[in-house]
Amino acid sequence: MGKVVFSSWAGKTVDNRGLGVKQHAYAEDLGLPSGYDHTKVAAFMGWDGFVVWDEKVNVVDMAHAYIKEVQKVCCGECMVGYIGITVLADTLARILDGKGREKDISLLQWLASGIKENAGCTFGQTAPIPIIDSIKYYRDEYLKLIKNKKAVPKSNYKVMVTAPCMEACPAHLDIPGYIQLIRNQRYRESLSLIRNGVCLPGVIGRVCTAPCEEACRRTQYDGRVCIRLLKRYVADWEMNSGLTPSSAKPRKSKEKVAIIGAGPAGLACSYNLALKGYQVTIFEELSVAGGMAAVGIPQYRLPRKILERDIELIEKAGVEIRLNTKIGRDLEMEGLWKDGYKAIFIAIGAHKGRKMGAEGEDNDYEGFVDGMKFLRDVNLGRVIEPKNRVLVVGGGDVAVDCARSCLRLGFRDVNIVYRRSRVEMPARKAEIEEAEKEGVKISYLVTPTKILARDGKVIGAECVKMALGEPDSSGRRRPIPIKGSEFVMKAAMIIPAIGQQPDLSFLPDRNQIKLAKQMTIETDTTTCQTSGEGIFAGGDCVTGPAVLIDALASGNRAAQSIDQYIRKGKVTQGEDSKLEIAVKGINLSEQREQEIVPREMPQITSQLPLKKRFGNFREVENGFNAEAALEEAKRCLRCYRVMVWLPAK
Amino acid sequence: MVELTIDNQRVRVKKGTTILEAADKFNITIPTLCHHENLTPLGSCRLCTVEVIVNGISKLTTACTFPVEQGIEVRTTSQKALEARRLAAELLLAKCPTSAKIKSLAQEIGVAKPRIKVREEDCILCELCVRTCREIVGRQALKFINRGLNQRVEPRIDFSPDMCIGCGSCAYVCPTGAIKMEDKDGTRVVYARNWEKEFKLKKCKVCGNYWAPEEQLEYIRGKLNLPPDFFDVCPNCR
Repeated sequence: MGKVVFSSWAGKTVDNRGLGVKQHAYAEDLGLPSGYDHTKVAAFMGWDGFVVWDEKVNVVDMAHAYIKEVQKVCCGECMVGYIGITVLADTLARILDGKGREKDISLLQWLASGIKENAGCTFGQTAPIPIIDSIKYYRDEYLKLIKNKKAVPKSNYKVMVTAPCMEACPAHLDIPGYIQLIRNQRYRESLSLIRNGVCLPGVIGRVCTAPCEEACRRTQYDGRVCIRLLKRYVADWEMNSGLTPSSAKPRKSKEKVAIIGAGPAGLACSYNLALKGYQVTIFEELSVAGGMAAVGIPQYRLPRKILERDIELIEKAGVEIRLNTKIGRDLEMEGLWKDGYKAIFIAIGAHKGRKMGAEGEDNDYEGFVDGMKFLRDVNLGRVIEPKNRVLVVGGGDVAVDCARSCLRLGFRDVNIVYRRSRVEMPARKAEIEEAEKEGVKISYLVTPTKILARDGKVIGAECVKMALGEPDSSGRRRPIPIKGSEFVMKAAMIIPAIGQQPDLSFLPDRNQIKLAKQMTIETDTTTCQTSGEGIFAGGDCVTGPAVLIDALASGNRAAQSIDQYIRKGKVTQGEDSKLEIAVKGINLSEQREQEIVPREMPQITSQLPLKKRFGNFREVENGFNAEAALEEAKRCLRCYRVMVWLPAK
Repeated sequence: MVELTIDNQRVRVKKGTTILEAADKFNITIPTLCHHENLTPLGSCRLCTVEVIVNGISKLTTACTFPVEQGIEVRTTSQKALEARRLAAELLLAKCPTSAKIKSLAQEIGVAKPRIKVREEDCILCELCVRTCREIVGRQALKFINRGLNQRVEPRIDFSPDMCIGCGSCAYVCPTGAIKMEDKDGTRVVYARNWEKEFKLKKCKVCGNYWAPEEQLEYIRGKLNLPPDFFDVCPNCR
């Protein structure tokens, strides 16, 4: 059961046609996800070959369905790809229409190999491979169609187009697409393509962790494409040119949606719903919109005016943001239904600092400030008196942000203590390196156990040295205190930054909305639905502290679900999510043959000189200039992967 | 300096030189169509395809876009390279069978008649016009509209009339005659199959001849910060 009839994938062939010995193979053996079996899929064709589970499948028809999709994506910038793929598609159509000639087979072969050898991008060089395979292994089927001279019915194939970078991006941005638009200096269109998936391009262009770049296939040659900085370039270009985006006029609809929290998740959801015509109101507890982007990320990484501009454009799309309005204090959540809101999206983030478990941390000592509160005060411009020596506890981005902010505020001796080693430190490597360059000292394998104070003021911490034991549930090695290693670290200020959790005290009835063990809101990950009717949730309050692009992506998904919920009264899993699940597991990076890529190193940007970084919060990283952006955009290999499959009957 | 082999010759060229430039230096001719030495290489026509052997692996690449690397071997007339060129020429000829330039290039490469049929067009999307307008003239009147996952269009060259100054550089550089220019009775028309723009020509105050589009002169005057009456007289009479 589930064995393939024929497969040629990634250069491996399994042929169970005919009477010979069966070479048993399952989807998993071919490197395809286990979801691909005969019960779900009759046949599949993609950039590296094809697989047939049902012997009745017409492989020529599949090749045609596939090449039609390839043709839609083929950019037209190289003639071999552009004209060649057009002829492939026309020829396959002709054969299916019963008008094929025998010499069409050699024509297909000649063209497909020619395109594979000499197209201008990775997409062009890989796309013809399954056509070549189909002729090699299913020539009889081609001949049969040509000889019968009868048109055969075409089946309806499902389609997915993605790329390694796109798949790695939580928002699945069309990265090769917007990079190519930059290459052709069509910045406005590039940015509008970005805004399809990311409503905060200026912000994301600065602070995204860029999982896309990790997946970039160019890494195996001379270095990844700097995707994040390219996005930043177009966002900055628009701002510096004084342009406003030509976004489509939102449709008008009377339905109202309430969003709790104006952070990245809430903003993304609101923007998408507004474009769909809903009246969206965001209720925000703080005096500024932006959530963590406003009060968590310091300005030297994300200047306020960048965030403000991105938010302004969201408001222009028709979103109302009510600041200083806390649900559960100024308004009751239950009251929202009475006010006519048809759905609620909870996106309150995770702003409450976790406890360290150190003795004395609840004693309200002067000089003991939670990391999140510290960053909020810094970002809101509240006066913070610089102290001589500060201890920041933790190893994440918040800890590093606190430490680097301290330096900018005039703290002299800034220290991070982290209970594991450098390898396990979750903060971004580049951030850690910059922090060290600026003078932050990091002590590894140390944990404070007791806060020391005199006259109610912090004077230091009793610490213990740690050793690493077996890996814990996070996969990182568990730190274990070393007995007798206690020592004292002096400090006038201690900033714990060891993780955050959502403050869910506003929820009216905890039984209505199920919570997960980590005190986050439980949702269906693809639809963002909570256990409460008409209530959706996303962002950090669901995942715990995560990165901005995750929050944005969940806001996008929630908007889709909320739209379905209001129109149809129920949420069906979106087609996109289904495809996403189906494609997970295929290694998109692999292909039979490697390209030859001339060595062109990634463009580099300048940084604010070290000595200018103190006493201010000026942005550290500079963006690309026009030339650098153009050069960098040229480095994209365009690894689009087209896949088609026929669902099993 | 980088050392490499081209057609069995060991040669040394400056780092950053393209294969096409390196070959040219040693009098090895490679056919080109979309290449112009003053413009950024694009690699669109694929006629300059050569075989490159890097670390023992043989691949094809366009000579105009590939910067030489230490130790590579380039074969400009290998069977593999010639076949790829013939395929490219055949496709171009099918697309644009009436262009004299393409016909003669195809003949040189060894293709007389294409065995395939596609919709014929006079533009082969080589973007020489786009690059000339942007890189030489300093305008962006022409843009390449590419297709893609989210751009379901026919690839084409788009014209923005506001940006065009009527200099006609695109018409000069176009290899297939898809862009044309005509001067008549004090006006100039620059046009292609699906766009055109008319320009008033400036009349010389001395000889009375029409000598250049007013918009172009205005553009140059602004760029060079020249006095308002600078172009009232043509260069011949100045």
